[in-house]
Amino acid sequence: MDNLFGVSMDLIMAVLLAAFLAAIAVVGWLALRNRVMVRLGLRNIPRRRGQTILIVIGVMLSTVIIAAALGTGDTLGVSIRNEAIRSLGAIDEIVLPARAGAGDSFGSVPYVHVGRFRELQERVADLDTIDGMTPSIAETVPALNNRSSVSEGRLNVVGVDAPTLDGFAGFTSATGEAVSIRNLSDGEAFINDRAADALDAAPGDELTLFLGGDATASFRVAAVVERNGLAGRDPTLLVALERAQRLFDRPEQVNLISVSNRGGVMDGAELSGEVARELRAALSDREAAAALRELLRQQAVIDALAAAEPDLTGDLRDNAAELREELQEADVTDMLVRLLNRQSVEDHVLDVLESEGLAEEHEAASALFSDLLPYRVIQIKRNILETADEAGSFVTTIFLNMGLFTVMVGVLLIFLIFVMLAAARRSEMGMARAVGARRVHLVQMFVFEGTAYALASAAVGVLIGLAVSALMVGIMNRIFSAFDEDALFRLTPQFALRTMVVSYCLGMLITLATVAVSAYRVSRLNIVTAVRGLPNPPVLSDTGWRAVLLAPWRALLRPFRYGWRALASAARLRLLAALAYLARAAWAVVMLPVAVWVTIAQVIWRFLMQGWLAVLLGALLAWYGATAWERAAAFTAGVSLVVIGLALMLRSVLARAGLRPDLRDRIAFTFAGVVVLAFWLLPPSTIESVVGELAGGFDLLFVSGICMVTAAVWTVMYNADLLLRALTWLTSPIGKLRPVLVTAVAYPMSAKLRTGLTLAMFALVFFTLMFISVLTETFSTQFTDPEVVTGGWHVEGIIGASTPVANMRDSLVYHGLPPDDLRAVGGYTVSSVQAREPGSEWDSVRMRGADDGFLDASAYEFHLIAEGYGSTTAEVMQALRDDPSLVVLGGNLVRTRPDAQDGFRPEFIEGVFYADESMQPLTLELWQRLSERTTTVTVIGVVAREHEDSFTMLASKKLLDDLFPFAIPVTRYRFAVADGVDAERIAYRLEGAFLEHGMETTVLADELELESASARAIFRLFVGFVALGLVVGIAALGVVSTRAVVERRQQIGVLRAIGYRRGMIQLSLLLESSFISLLGIAIGGTLGVILGYQAFVEIRDEEAAGNLRFVVPWLQIGSIFVLAYVFSLLATWLPARQAARTYPAEALRYE
Amino acid sequence: MEDLIIQARDISKTYSTGSLTVNALRGVDLSVRRGEMVAIMGPSGCGKTTLLNCLSGLDEIDSGRVLIDGVELHNLPDDERSDYRARRMGFVFQLYNLLPVLSAVENVEMPLLLSGVGSGEARARALEMLDSVGLSERSSHLPGELSGGQRQRVTIARALVNRPAIVWADEPTGDLDSETANEIIDLMCGLNRDNGQSFVVVTHALDVGQRANRIVTMRDGLIADAGAASGLAGSGEQTAGV
Repeated sequence: MDNLFGVSMDLIMAVLLAAFLAAIAVVGWLALRNRVMVRLGLRNIPRRRGQTILIVIGVMLSTVIIAAALGTGDTLGVSIRNEAIRSLGAIDEIVLPARAGAGDSFGSVPYVHVGRFRELQERVADLDTIDGMTPSIAETVPALNNRSSVSEGRLNVVGVDAPTLDGFAGFTSATGEAVSIRNLSDGEAFINDRAADALDAAPGDELTLFLGGDATASFRVAAVVERNGLAGRDPTLLVALERAQRLFDRPEQVNLISVSNRGGVMDGAELSGEVARELRAALSDREAAAALRELLRQQAVIDALAAAEPDLTGDLRDNAAELREELQEADVTDMLVRLLNRQSVEDHVLDVLESEGLAEEHEAASALFSDLLPYRVIQIKRNILETADEAGSFVTTIFLNMGLFTVMVGVLLIFLIFVMLAAARRSEMGMARAVGARRVHLVQMFVFEGTAYALASAAVGVLIGLAVSALMVGIMNRIFSAFDEDALFRLTPQFALRTMVVSYCLGMLITLATVAVSAYRVSRLNIVTAVRGLPNPPVLSDTGWRAVLLAPWRALLRPFRYGWRALASAARLRLLAALAYLARAAWAVVMLPVAVWVTIAQVIWRFLMQGWLAVLLGALLAWYGATAWERAAAFTAGVSLVVIGLALMLRSVLARAGLRPDLRDRIAFTFAGVVVLAFWLLPPSTIESVVGELAGGFDLLFVSGICMVTAAVWTVMYNADLLLRALTWLTSPIGKLRPVLVTAVAYPMSAKLRTGLTLAMFALVFFTLMFISVLTETFSTQFTDPEVVTGGWHVEGIIGASTPVANMRDSLVYHGLPPDDLRAVGGYTVSSVQAREPGSEWDSVRMRGADDGFLDASAYEFHLIAEGYGSTTAEVMQALRDDPSLVVLGGNLVRTRPDAQDGFRPEFIEGVFYADESMQPLTLELWQRLSERTTTVTVIGVVAREHEDSFTMLASKKLLDDLFPFAIPVTRYRFAVADGVDAERIAYRLEGAFLEHGMETTVLADELELESASARAIFRLFVGFVALGLVVGIAALGVVSTRAVVERRQQIGVLRAIGYRRGMIQLSLLLESSFISLLGIAIGGTLGVILGYQAFVEIRDEEAAGNLRFVVPWLQIGSIFVLAYVFSLLATWLPARQAARTYPAEALRYE
Repeated sequence: MEDLIIQARDISKTYSTGSLTVNALRGVDLSVRRGEMVAIMGPSGCGKTTLLNCLSGLDEIDSGRVLIDGVELHNLPDDERSDYRARRMGFVFQLYNLLPVLSAVENVEMPLLLSGVGSGEARARALEMLDSVGLSERSSHLPGELSGGQRQRVTIARALVNRPAIVWADEPTGDLDSETANEIIDLMCGLNRDNGQSFVVVTHALDVGQRANRIVTMRDGLIADAGAASGLAGSGEQTAGV
């Protein structure tokens, strides 16, 4: 994986590494200057080993998530790369004829005379970027192993040109020996290991190839070779080129040219762009180039191109200038051909002609550009390598987005841990301050300790993250194996050093930043109350405005002061002192930006706390979010910030009115909590009616989670006494449970910060879990009924294009399949065509050309039917049968609305949208590359999206016959079985009956179930990944409980003295953690379901998906809930047990 | 026969802290009559608090025998001992040791709830008890919002609310100024006199000891002087001398 979020991973690593080293340098420098604080900070680590372990676990979670996400991306990317390299071997590019000629047929690549290859070979002979080029023939046929009677419907037959194999790896037998194609006799062939597996074949076996009609050919297997490069990835049989030409009756013809670039199998791909350009130039039709040159040499065109040139940038600008120069040359130059072959140049020229109104020239140029290159040059290896990188980056992005909440929760835990550590050491910190330690020293003490934790836990986190990644890769392999029985593609855990560095640095920096913020907060203690162990006074800020504002000026003066002292010392010849002052001056310069930023942060923080700045910033954010950015996340975050700002202003007003601090906090934060929650619970349509439609995404999920959970936690925490009263009332009849419940609720409610943070952690994780679970389960309901999805078909049989069935119904009778077992039989063929609305851009689209049997029996529901074409499926299908110029569109070929953000759907259709109430017949133009024929068709309906192949067009097969230069055979047959007939048995019988046609059958319901199960498994993997965050919540409860036992030791002694049994102490602590975890789960779960429902309604309306049902996966969520709760109880059970075992007298003695 | 509520015979207790072994109690005999207020005095480290903890069942003994109202406390399982404390004993500590997260009335009603008294009755009795110690208006305050004397009054109210047979007090005035200390000891003596409950008070303060019926003096883990019984503490007679 080379890029993440569009940024080079190398750059990300360099920046993070630099930041990491800078941070370590600063901390190291501070440590050297203040060793006492280093000792004070570090000595705490070994004092409580259990607590240290819990802290390391808690602190490492962010790193685990980051490393797991990056590691999974690495694995996917590298595995695809490795598979590409293994499959392609030395092949970097392939060249295919783009136009069909006489004798070409559907399902096979068009042929050219081998002389074209020789010409190409001569033209590129001087190029040192190419070290091999070989022509071949590739066809696909059904085959049977005569010995084992095992058949394979798709056996690739490749004719290899032995004399031109230089530059390509040779063939290696399964036993490791080099074997040569030259040594094969006429009746011999090699097969690759996949073909050997598929046909259960071994050297010496005789294979029969079915070549269509009654034609067959037999080959004896001379050797089994490793699949690689020319030996293919899929089941392949290899013979000499000349033998293949005779076999397929293609004398002196080839249909594939493989090219190997200079260099190894990996680095050869780096030359691919350059080689492809040269190949295109060499393969170009010089006559078309000359005609194009004449067209573009016209003065009007030259003037238009010159006028457009200043607006261009980069390479295109240079190319445009070069093009004009080359057009002035007397003849067609190689350079001109190269330029005309560049896609960017072609697009530019056509754009200029169109924008200048040169319609005729535009039309002519379009045709000539299309004629310029009668071949397709495919950079096959580079494309796959780029796909590998994109796949890795995509997967990493998904997992990082999913893990954002866990990282956030991890940050909260780090903050909580350091707040609690500070609480435990408050007295000694007060003493340190009393004897002269500055506040900054306390900050440093915690930073030193935090750095030690961060360094260790980030290292552990990377290792565990990679282990988690390996686990996820294992699960993915299991999912993939359902589709790939031969285990051809397997993900192998691969972790780049760069990933480890990035994960480590990022995890460590997140931890260090959080520790620094926490340390700053906890350093603000009142010395007297800290020493005496009394609560902190409510107002802690003793830094006046003056001190805050003067701080940067003082920092600015500091280098001069030390510099002056250095000079003075030097003047007195005290050189060591001068050097020391110089070092301090340099340090002061380094710290100057820090001082400025701290001041800015302090000023902003103070204004934010006053409320008005929060209102102002929130309003700005909401305004920009709604207008300029059109992002829902920004708008909703802005509105939430405005509400919070208003609440803070309300608190100030109440303070001036003399209200008690607890009461004014309660009023202000309850107001903020309730209003923010109410805002977020508004239906999206209500907000859209005010600000219009805004874009959503993971950012919105993240903001919604933070805002809703914070609001709910505030509301609960500031009104907990009501909860307490309710609980007390409810439990009053339950004898001794009541005192236990009283303390179990009272303690967490008295420590609002730590309880609120722990509550927020649980709530955030459960919020995400619930949201993702609800949405994935809801979407999986859309495609559950195979009858609906397939339009009533049960079995699919795919056959090779070269071995068509002349008449399926007759053949079924011939093969003895009882006619009563099949309710319907139909067939179709899928092919790619170019489509557009007249005057717009061409777009590639798949088309199903179906026979009458398929059109008659397919029970697809139509979402829209054009006026004049009836109102039922039968009427539309009849129209398709009767008129080959009519087509219907799959539901996903049209966008939902003109303004809908469904980027995955093609955009070339503007005349009809899925959410339309009705439609008019729509005209489309279709173009087929092989024949270069264009035809006009009419769209008369849109199939409902819940049906299969929703990204394809459906028409009569006669339309495909007209579009292609040759007859189109039916390659996919569908069978609807009669009631009570076993589809699996029919599928089995069909395969046997049509063995010579290479029929491979699928029971559609099984296939759908497999796809559905795999999708569910992937979703569960996501849910499991998000559930990792629960570890943070559980670790937090463990830390809180451990601290509670230490802090309350005396109180536990008192409780025991006045009659609490051991079990009651234990129960009280367990109930306490239950109270937090259950409340957190309830808050997060409820909010997740509500947001999930809102998203469901939004998507249902947006997608016009009326069949979508809202589903909550209670079993899955329930299992996670039980696990999380049990583990949270376990995390508390140990400290609770320890507390209960202590003798009352011993506990009372504790100070 | 005397009506003894506490009978301790030959009790020993040893603490081990690493390599250091401390013989905190070395064969202590002590009897306390029902309704008697006994002050245990002596220098720091002589074993006063240990004796109180051992007598009240807060700590285990190594040897000897303790009978509280005829019940051999140390032979009871831990849960039954806890229940016994909840029903029959009250505790007052030097540092008040109130639960900081509960209000005054909630602290006071806690022993009642533990004894199985219904919540309504528990709240009424707790308020009544707070009233009797002069804190009815502070019932909803958290301990952190009360002065030291007020906190100790709450502690006393908590100790007496379930009308225990014995009240154990460990340095009840140790953290208070003299005026407040006098108020507290007046309160304890008054309650002792009015309710006839037995009080065992560990104290350093001679004026507190002098208000008791008897002063037991300890030295090096032994009773140095068991003191002589006098009239009830509430009578103001001080017969036991040191």
